[in-house]
Amino acid sequence: MSSTKPKIAFFDFAGCEGCQLTVLDSLQTHTELLNAVEIVQFREAMSERNDDYQIALVEGSYTRPSDEVRLQAIRDQAQIVITLGACAHLGGVNAVRNAHRLEEIKRYVYGEKAEVYEAASARPISDFIQVDAFIPGCPIDREEFVRAVKSLLQGNLPDIPDYPVCVECKLRETGCVFLYGKTCLGPITRAGCGAICPSFGVGCEGCRGLIPNPNMASLREVLSENGLDEMRVKAKMSLFLTNQIATSDMEA
Amino acid sequence: MIAKILPKHALQNWIETLREHYRIIGPKLAQSQFIFGDIHSADELDLSYPTTILPPKKVLLPQREDLFHFDATGDTHIVEPTFDDEPTVILGIHACDMHSITLLDRVFERGTADQHYQTRRENTTLVSLECIKSCSEYSFCKSMGTLSIPEDFDLHITDLGDEYLLEIGSNKGVSLLWNFNEVREATDADFERLNKVMSEKWSHFTYRVDFDITELPALLSLSYDSKVWEELGDRCLACGACNIVCPTCYCFDVRDEVDFSLCSGGRFRVWDSCQLDRFAVVAGGHDFRDARAARQRHRFFRKGKYLTEKYGVVGCVGCGRCAQACLVHISPVDIFNELHRRRVPSAATQEEILA
Repeated sequence: MSSTKPKIAFFDFAGCEGCQLTVLDSLQTHTELLNAVEIVQFREAMSERNDDYQIALVEGSYTRPSDEVRLQAIRDQAQIVITLGACAHLGGVNAVRNAHRLEEIKRYVYGEKAEVYEAASARPISDFIQVDAFIPGCPIDREEFVRAVKSLLQGNLPDIPDYPVCVECKLRETGCVFLYGKTCLGPITRAGCGAICPSFGVGCEGCRGLIPNPNMASLREVLSENGLDEMRVKAKMSLFLTNQIATSDMEA
Repeated sequence: MIAKILPKHALQNWIETLREHYRIIGPKLAQSQFIFGDIHSADELDLSYPTTILPPKKVLLPQREDLFHFDATGDTHIVEPTFDDEPTVILGIHACDMHSITLLDRVFERGTADQHYQTRRENTTLVSLECIKSCSEYSFCKSMGTLSIPEDFDLHITDLGDEYLLEIGSNKGVSLLWNFNEVREATDADFERLNKVMSEKWSHFTYRVDFDITELPALLSLSYDSKVWEELGDRCLACGACNIVCPTCYCFDVRDEVDFSLCSGGRFRVWDSCQLDRFAVVAGGHDFRDARAARQRHRFFRKGKYLTEKYGVVGCVGCGRCAQACLVHISPVDIFNELHRRRVPSAATQEEILA
């Protein structure tokens, strides 16, 4: 029986697979998802594997030259490519390694076998193929994923917030973590997470990436005024934002 | 003036009586700051609260509010507006926030009246609270002329020490004391105590704006091209916190959400902020306020000029929430004073000119 439901495939590159687990989790809490789409490939969840898909959801970052071939094959097949999570969107935590010489990192991780393994800088998927939309976060937000699928069913791309986390913090009346002597990347980080970290008293680490046109210079001053020295500011901004900060600083 | 006296120890019974008929919202501690939230007993309510993260505006214009839902699944297509008419009492509203509600009432009755706001408003009883000491180092209500309570309260509470004096402002206010026999009529002695509180309170507040606030609209008109806006644009994080915590901001965005069937769903509105990057983007992608400086100027013109001209009441009520929330210390008092300082030549300069 042929189905008119959109055919969706999941792909994973370098990452912890937590975003795929969030998808699996959302299939249990929102079982309507299973009736709305046809999943044809999802290594994390099923053994069937079919390359006839329209929508590709890509998790994980690019970390080795051979990834490019796989990515190109996905792009050639899919009508819509959507990245899933911070690794695919930003390079993720993996990009911490970009600050070091690759040869040193390889030796540190693989020891004597360093030469055997293939490795490159950790990069966002969009550096290699055209990406139509992204679902950000580490991990992705389950409700945002569900909304994204609904948008796709309506023929639209997901509508991801482009305002900062501060908006959501204030809307839910979370006390600003700066008042408690902590620091936070909320003013420059894309919302949509419901400001979950500050609501538990933890400053935002920027996993959803920068808002468009962030005021980096002013935020750096705020962080410094609140006790972070230059090295710690740099460390904070390189947990998730390595690739984006490199770009935005070049533009500045 | 019609007034009653409520002993403080009777507050619990009063709240219990009210809860039989109303949802009660009041200031209470959450984490280490105050918010307006559901009050279940007098223990939760703190009428000596300093200020709250969000103003009580959120009760009348919730952060997220359903407007209508639709269902086209069956043969009959249903579209039904959503109204919240639950009888609600907001307890302990400071004077600044009362002034902001006066403004919101005018905003939402003009033009096509906003039925969602009006339904909530009609079913809400406002119990204001006399401010007898400054609530925060950031507030400047005395300068804005918003330290005295406006007249549209339903019931107004003044703390007399061991008792509250309740001034009745409307029939809605009368209803709150209906069948509650633990209040007594206020006597001349009570009014004397009230007068004492009222005359002593003013010295506990300072004027923080350096000029008469009625000059503000004209001052802003002259300051449209001021360098101040560029300086603010450099500092501003465009995080939107100032708008979200503001009692007189009322801009919202309208969004739709569908169910998986794509045949049913709803429309809702959420608070928006003119400081956000995409606020002024129009069809075709043009952004007519893409610079942070232009957005900051717009914000202060709204507060100090446009709203006053349009609605005849002050657009900034001096609550100080935006200044408290701002990580880069942008404060209306500082901005107003700086604009005034740059506009008026200093005495020394005048002398130099004369010499």
